[in-house]
Amino acid sequence: MTTQALHPSVSPQEPPRLTGMSEAVLAEVAARLAEVVAGASVPPIDLTAMPLTSEDRADLEQRLGRGEVFATVESAGRSQIWETQFSGVWFVRHFGENDRIASECIEFGAAPEILFSHRADMSAAARRLAAALQSADAREKTDH
Amino acid sequence: MTLLEFARGPALQVAMIIFVLGATWRFFGALLLPWRLAPAEPRKGALSPIAAAFKGVVVKMWPHKPFQKAGMFTFVNGYILHFGLAIVVFLFAPHILFIKGLTGLSWPALPNNLVYTVGVVTMASLVAGLVHRLRSPVLRLISRFDDYLSWLLTLLPVLTGLLAAAHLGARYETLLAVHILSICTFLIWFPFGKLMHAFMFVFSRAMTGVRMGQRGAEL
Amino acid sequence: MPQAPKLAPTLGELLQERGVSRRAFLKYASYLSAVMALPAGSASALAEGLANARRQSVIWLSFQECTGCTESLTRSFSPTLESLIFDLISLDYHHTLQAASGEAAEKAREAAMAENKGKYVVVVDGAVPTKDGGLYSTIAGVSNLDMLKATAKDAMAVIAVGTCAAFGGIPKARPNPTGAAAIDEIITDKPIINIPGCPPIPEAMAGVVSYLVSFVKLPELDHLRRPKAFFGETIHDRCYRRPFYERGLFAEGFDDAGARQGWCLYKVGCKGPVTYNACATLKWNGGVSFPIQSGHGCLGCSEPDFWDQGGFYRPLSTNLRDMGPALAGAALAGAALGAGAAWASRRHQESYQREQNPNEGDKK
Ligand code: SF4
Ligand code: SF4
Repeated sequence: MTTQALHPSVSPQEPPRLTGMSEAVLAEVAARLAEVVAGASVPPIDLTAMPLTSEDRADLEQRLGRGEVFATVESAGRSQIWETQFSGVWFVRHFGENDRIASECIEFGAAPEILFSHRADMSAAARRLAAALQSADAREKTDH
Repeated sequence: MTLLEFARGPALQVAMIIFVLGATWRFFGALLLPWRLAPAEPRKGALSPIAAAFKGVVVKMWPHKPFQKAGMFTFVNGYILHFGLAIVVFLFAPHILFIKGLTGLSWPALPNNLVYTVGVVTMASLVAGLVHRLRSPVLRLISRFDDYLSWLLTLLPVLTGLLAAAHLGARYETLLAVHILSICTFLIWFPFGKLMHAFMFVFSRAMTGVRMGQRGAEL
Repeated sequence: MPQAPKLAPTLGELLQERGVSRRAFLKYASYLSAVMALPAGSASALAEGLANARRQSVIWLSFQECTGCTESLTRSFSPTLESLIFDLISLDYHHTLQAASGEAAEKAREAAMAENKGKYVVVVDGAVPTKDGGLYSTIAGVSNLDMLKATAKDAMAVIAVGTCAAFGGIPKARPNPTGAAAIDEIITDKPIINIPGCPPIPEAMAGVVSYLVSFVKLPELDHLRRPKAFFGETIHDRCYRRPFYERGLFAEGFDDAGARQGWCLYKVGCKGPVTYNACATLKWNGGVSFPIQSGHGCLGCSEPDFWDQGGFYRPLSTNLRDMGPALAGAALAGAALGAGAAWASRRHQESYQREQNPNEGDKK
């Protein structure tokens, strides 16, 4: 009756192991960084949907390490961004509900896109700031 | 109705009915014929019919010395093919579940990966068998439509099963449906052609044994 | 009465007023492109597209359904990332979610249709009863059938949410007393996207709407009109229990040793191998788990007629019809035929023999 009886040696609950995927990703990181150095702009590597085990992820993160910059962005939830110990290689991790990782990628270049202020936001900010100063001015005038 | 639903439902139902009906028909039709022996007295020292029947079945499992050289390929390839088929058909977990659904009987399965490997070997031996048949002038001369059709209808389930397992060529549900349909054609043809040897070979070998034994021929 | 239409603000402008920056768009876009497996680097394009898009008018029709689809979609959005989707669309009509009811609600639907003629998206959950003129389900005295036809007429596209809308689902299960039909059986002249599931995965729904809004085109669909990004692979393809399947380690029940050790659920009826959906990767309830992870086989809920596949606990490789009696009958009939044939053959042989040696038979 039992199919299992034929496999006495197999332990079904083996913990997930390193699959070699982290190695492959690192090789890709190296290739893309070389392209960046040569002056190209390269797309990010998306890790979210990659079939990495938790060990693979930990291994990748550990081997990329931490560099000099660490940033937290609060916009539609939290995001953590850090430069790895390899300049130009950035780790970008977005969180969703309940601190669940919503998406994760490795970006290349001087800084990842999300750290830059967008033109539209800047012009809105300029308008807001001007308006704030104006109303402050107006208040001062009425005070005197 | 999707193709898979058709295959698992009406197609399989009709095929199974034809298979059972045809196979019992031919089986009883042949076995209930008079077991006629030659009207002569048995030779002196001839084996009893039972012993001769038994010997007939067993001895034919390996080629006689004089034919060993010429017949070896057929024998070895035949064994590989038949054992392969038996393993693939009866020791693959989904197949056992199918049989269990029909009969309530079940037994341990082999790991899928192993069964896939055996499937590939079985395929290869089927192909080798055909090549051998086509290259031998004698075999070619005595081969008929039945031989080629039976070969094809045996090959198709193995081939489609492997493709389904490997997810090759089409979406899995389509492959699975095609696999089941190929089994349906196999089942429908089974009773009416040479595939029927699966049920009959024991009896025909035994009968040959009895006839030869009666004449005192060496088995 | 209509004045020259003033251009509506873009989504970027709209959200800026609420203090939502472009970073939020970028974050949402990178999340979406990860989920939808869009080509690497398309996140910024998607973010720009979204920010520059105008708010999409959406009319949501609920027909022969259980409201499970709406529940799934609304319950799963957190107030952060995923909630952006509701800012992307203007839900002009949804009789479960909108505050207005009765005539006011129907008026809102008609107004949205007139204002956005040819541009609005119709989302449908639930099948449409077609028997007896469609009288088995009506809203405000109008049959679902008529309302669907009228609303879809000037739509840009129709999204069928849930298995009932996409394939007929449970209302269409045998014997289908109301003549329930899928949306694409009724609407044949509009682009239709099916997002099946019972209920569908909320991310799939959100992803498709966002894609539609920002790229103004349909995502790539499979032969059942399902977006390939979410329905391109089977549950089995991405199932973490797959290694057990390959090794032949199966749970035989829901409480045996195999089940406790997390072995493959094929033998207890898992339909994962023929079910295209993203449960195994996106999971449910914000990535907490999915049915197989919780110990139950896949029911095949995102496939046509999943309700009529012979039973949820029946293994996939078994036949669908009960064949016992038919086979027993066939065996008996075969035996009788065989016996008859043998008998006829004996008679024939005997008479032949008698003809050959007319005396011998007499002697015996
Ligand atoms: S549990 Fe289902 S989907 Fe997962 S491996 Fe087994 S059969 Fe496939
Ligand atoms: S696991 Fe299967 S039955 Fe369950 S929700 Fe996903 S597709 Fe539907």
